[in-house]
Amino acid sequence: MIMVENLKKEFTYYKKMTGIKGSLHNIFHRESLTKEAVRDISFSVESGEMIGFLGPNGAGKTTTLKILSGILYPTGGRIEVDGFIPWERKNEFKRRISIVMGQKNQLWWDLPASDSFYLNKCIFGVDDGSYRDIITELSELLDVKELLNVQVRRLSLGERMKMEILAALIHRPDILFLDEPTIGLDILSQKKIREFLKIYNEQWKTTVIITSHYMADIEALCDRAVIINQGQLVYDGKLADMNQVLGKRKLLSVKTSEAVDIGAWKTFGMVREVSAAGAVLEVPQEKVKEVLNAVLSELQVDDFTVTEIPIEESIARFYQKEVVMP
Amino acid sequence: MSSYRCVFLMGVEQALEYRVSFFLSMLSAVFPIIIQTTMWNYLYRHSDAAAVFGYQQGEILLYTLLATIVSQLVSTGFEGEMNSDIKMGGLNKYLVRPVGYKGYRFFRFLGQKIPRVMVVAPVMAVIIGMAFWQGMPVSAGRVLAFLVSLGLGLILNFSIFYCIGLLGFWLTDVDKLFGTISIVLTVVSGGVFPLDIFGGVVETLVNLLPFGYTTQFPVNIVNGRFGWERMGVGFVFQIGWIFIFVCLGKYMWRHGVKRYAAVGG
Repeated sequence: MIMVENLKKEFTYYKKMTGIKGSLHNIFHRESLTKEAVRDISFSVESGEMIGFLGPNGAGKTTTLKILSGILYPTGGRIEVDGFIPWERKNEFKRRISIVMGQKNQLWWDLPASDSFYLNKCIFGVDDGSYRDIITELSELLDVKELLNVQVRRLSLGERMKMEILAALIHRPDILFLDEPTIGLDILSQKKIREFLKIYNEQWKTTVIITSHYMADIEALCDRAVIINQGQLVYDGKLADMNQVLGKRKLLSVKTSEAVDIGAWKTFGMVREVSAAGAVLEVPQEKVKEVLNAVLSELQVDDFTVTEIPIEESIARFYQKEVVMP
Repeated sequence: MSSYRCVFLMGVEQALEYRVSFFLSMLSAVFPIIIQTTMWNYLYRHSDAAAVFGYQQGEILLYTLLATIVSQLVSTGFEGEMNSDIKMGGLNKYLVRPVGYKGYRFFRFLGQKIPRVMVVAPVMAVIIGMAFWQGMPVSAGRVLAFLVSLGLGLILNFSIFYCIGLLGFWLTDVDKLFGTISIVLTVVSGGVFPLDIFGGVVETLVNLLPFGYTTQFPVNIVNGRFGWERMGVGFVFQIGWIFIFVCLGKYMWRHGVKRYAAVGG
């Protein structure tokens, strides 16, 4: 469905020293610099798949999405989306995709969202019947039925985002690009949008690429994550397998009935947290049993749990580029 | 419904959305009329000659009143929006949808004009009626030709300002210039007073440049300053300039979008 091979994108910009002196200097002599926003990214997405596209700010996520949706030309590499070259911007291609950017809006500010929906209906040539059906269905799912005729400027950020998503789906695109759709929203709105996207993807088998800085979004929606950092791919695989790549470690939380000295904890493994009530140890997966036995035999243990390293933490380590794709 | 018709109707709706702004725009159509009338009446009363700058009092009044209205009718205002579309990435939403940006802008512009036209049309009819009653050479044929040239003037002014808006692809802070450009162009279009009062070189320039064809030309048709032959030449110029600006706009768009797609929005 989506195929990206050795994608590269460079931007040129000008260097400017601070202050008026710098500005005057720039009038006569501008030093141009090249920034590699995307260096060499390859991945592919199957039809109906929903992947999380992750990376720290400035990693090149939005740039990649813009190239995939045909807004930007790449500097190099090969891309195919649903059999089309995006930046040729064929109308047939545009009918199959949709992009929602959390920080941009496409609705007419002074008019109710329903007007903008109707405009999209006209632009995409959606027939009356399916238009009615989709508005009824999606507005119910998103819980915005009562708000369709309210001026967009009077909506809250969360409500507006729901409308943006609805507007993007009126022509039933095969592929949906979501660039931080939950940015700045409260927990309830985030949850609602997440649930909606889950149901929508299951029901309509739409291929979705989503970027978000909220791990809850990614964990709830995606099995697979593609992580980039500084324009390069650092991970492509199952979210659940991320820990494996990072050295297969587990967290062992132990509660004790009396306080244990930190020195004593250190004899069992790496100590991540310690308090009067217990400690959290980071232990290699294959040693969990052994360490647990030792702890149980040597200390007065009330309770214990073994958990995976939180995904957020694994991702943070990819962001810091401690590890690169094996 | 075709997408442009939909954009057009939404433009009408948008212009009517704010009642206060709508009524104020009605006022702003009437105010200049009062100012112009008072000013020219005063000038002629204190002048010995029957004609100042070659215009009779009635002629100059007819000219300035109609020119004020025409220049309001053809005036744009979307160039600032275009500039922010380009600068802030709002253009993205047009690039990913199967709709032409220029068509979108044009029909939205037309739609937003409609309420203004409804207010101004009766005023214009009254002015022209009074001119006829005063014995000025207004005729049905001239009014018809005037309406055609007014439509063309609207298209021409749209095309000029569309190109100005597209400058945003190359110049980052062009929006601060828009106010100035718009005022200067109103004056050089003959929107404040007839430019042929300067005679000679200025008059020739006005006849050659595109701007006079947005305002001065339509008004001079109805007030009878032109013979039919000169009117024909004027139409050729008006249509020629539309053609040139449409081509220029196409060229600028093609290169601008390429540039936009290279540097990002």
